[in-house]
Amino acid sequence: MSLKLKDAAVRRGAFRLTADFEAPTEGITVVFGPSGGGKSMLLATIAGLHKLETGRLNFKGKVMEEVSTKTRIGPHARGIGLVFQDARLFPHRTVRGNIQYAESRRPAARNAPIVTEIARRLEIEDLLDRPVRNLSGGERSRVALARAVVSAPELLLLDEPFAALDGRRRHAFLTLLRDLSREQGLPMMIVTHQVDEVAELADHVIAVSQGRVICHGAASDVMHRADFAALLDRRDLGARVDAKSVANGQGGGVWVRADSVLLASEEPRGISARNVWRGRIASILREQDGSILVSLATEAGYILSRITPEAFADLELQEGATGWAVVKSHAL
Amino acid sequence: MVPAMLTAEEMQILATSLGVAGRAVVFSLPVAIAFAWALSRSKFPGKWIIDAIAHLPLVLPPVLVGYLLLLLFGVRGPIGSWLRDAFGIQLAFTAEGAALATAVMAFPLMVRAIRLSFEAADSSLFEAAAVLRAGPWDRFWSMALPLAWPGVLAGAVTAFAAGLGEFGAVITFASNVEGQTQTIPLAIYSALQTPNGEETALRLAAISMTAAITGLVLAELLQRWARRRLEA
Repeated sequence: MSLKLKDAAVRRGAFRLTADFEAPTEGITVVFGPSGGGKSMLLATIAGLHKLETGRLNFKGKVMEEVSTKTRIGPHARGIGLVFQDARLFPHRTVRGNIQYAESRRPAARNAPIVTEIARRLEIEDLLDRPVRNLSGGERSRVALARAVVSAPELLLLDEPFAALDGRRRHAFLTLLRDLSREQGLPMMIVTHQVDEVAELADHVIAVSQGRVICHGAASDVMHRADFAALLDRRDLGARVDAKSVANGQGGGVWVRADSVLLASEEPRGISARNVWRGRIASILREQDGSILVSLATEAGYILSRITPEAFADLELQEGATGWAVVKSHAL
Repeated sequence: MVPAMLTAEEMQILATSLGVAGRAVVFSLPVAIAFAWALSRSKFPGKWIIDAIAHLPLVLPPVLVGYLLLLLFGVRGPIGSWLRDAFGIQLAFTAEGAALATAVMAFPLMVRAIRLSFEAADSSLFEAAAVLRAGPWDRFWSMALPLAWPGVLAGAVTAFAAGLGEFGAVITFASNVEGQTQTIPLAIYSALQTPNGEETALRLAAISMTAAITGLVLAELLQRWARRRLEA
């Protein structure tokens, strides 16, 4: 059961996206990469909104599109849902009408919540009879999600559906997506360009940049790779740690930024930080500006810490020596 | 307009006009929607031909349109004779014929209004409908048409108002038969040809203007109402 793109290429104007990968269609796959790299285009292609220029697209063993045999199943017949960044609610229908549009078109055999159930689950019951024009950004996101879930797709693609949200509401929406995917047994493929969200949500990661799939695979593997790290801003550099190894960790994993990790050469005592990991110094790297990047192999996995040259000199760190990584819970 | 203010004859003329224009709109509306839809879609081979056909009545002299209809739909014309033999229908010199001539003349107006409205619809919404399992036909009926509704209504009402005043094509194809094909403009023309007919002509002119202005105001109101409804 998978989604497979073979030698696929899509073109929109001057931009060309190529893809050749296979991803499992279960759990949550996150499509990650810098803005303008082709993440949304990848989703639109999988949904059938862009035509392949070359190659083939298989979904759950069925050919959705194959250029050489001129096979092409339309977006309406793929069983793949898509939540757009801008929600795209239908202005001539109420909130209820929008969700019913999906409900009345789903195959009878597909099991999915009815309008009232999903409305209760996503806390939009009070909005049902309102026109869509004066909903807030967060309300629009939830209505678009409700509409897509009710359509009972076999895979739900989400193109930065929380772009309109900020801070706490964004995090709440993320948690909602994760829970919903599990409750409904609904595989999701979610686009984001925030590395914390990748760590928290992803079972599987597809990294996309400059029109290419850079790497893909299980989140715990991909997020440690150098080509993945190369996509990050300098201050985002860090490591993925399993959520269960972190105090109050949520979701699948937590992204621990190198800038938020203290390094100690002796076991720290009497401190407030909840996360103290003991490990062996695996590598020491001097960055261009002189900062030192230390990688510590701990039982929670590799942890990166960025320290100043002065601190590095004081601690007298050496590869193979024992060290402690310390992180405040609030820094995560 | 209070009916009591009109004479029986004027009521008859007004009824003929409304009937002709009404039938013209009802029968040409589906065709106009189809043309407008085809023209609003991205390029396809032969698009310019459809575009030209839709606009032809706008640039041809109305008398010529009436004459062409006579050649095609007249009793001895290729389509006219077939209609008569197969269905016993005669169009030339009848109220139905007047409706046909009116429909042809009002066609470009209707296509234009509807086409603009199809083009103004946000096509990203069609994509959203597609990924909710709506196929191409479904998208037309459930998205394109409801979203274009203001333009369709406005096009129909404008065509109706214009249809009330169609002269050249109607008189050529359907003639000027009192009680059957004599619409308001034809009646005004007849009155002006009659000695001392000026008062009749003026009264008819007032009726004509009232009907036309009512139509235009109605079209504008409908459009405003519908636009408000669709504001996202």
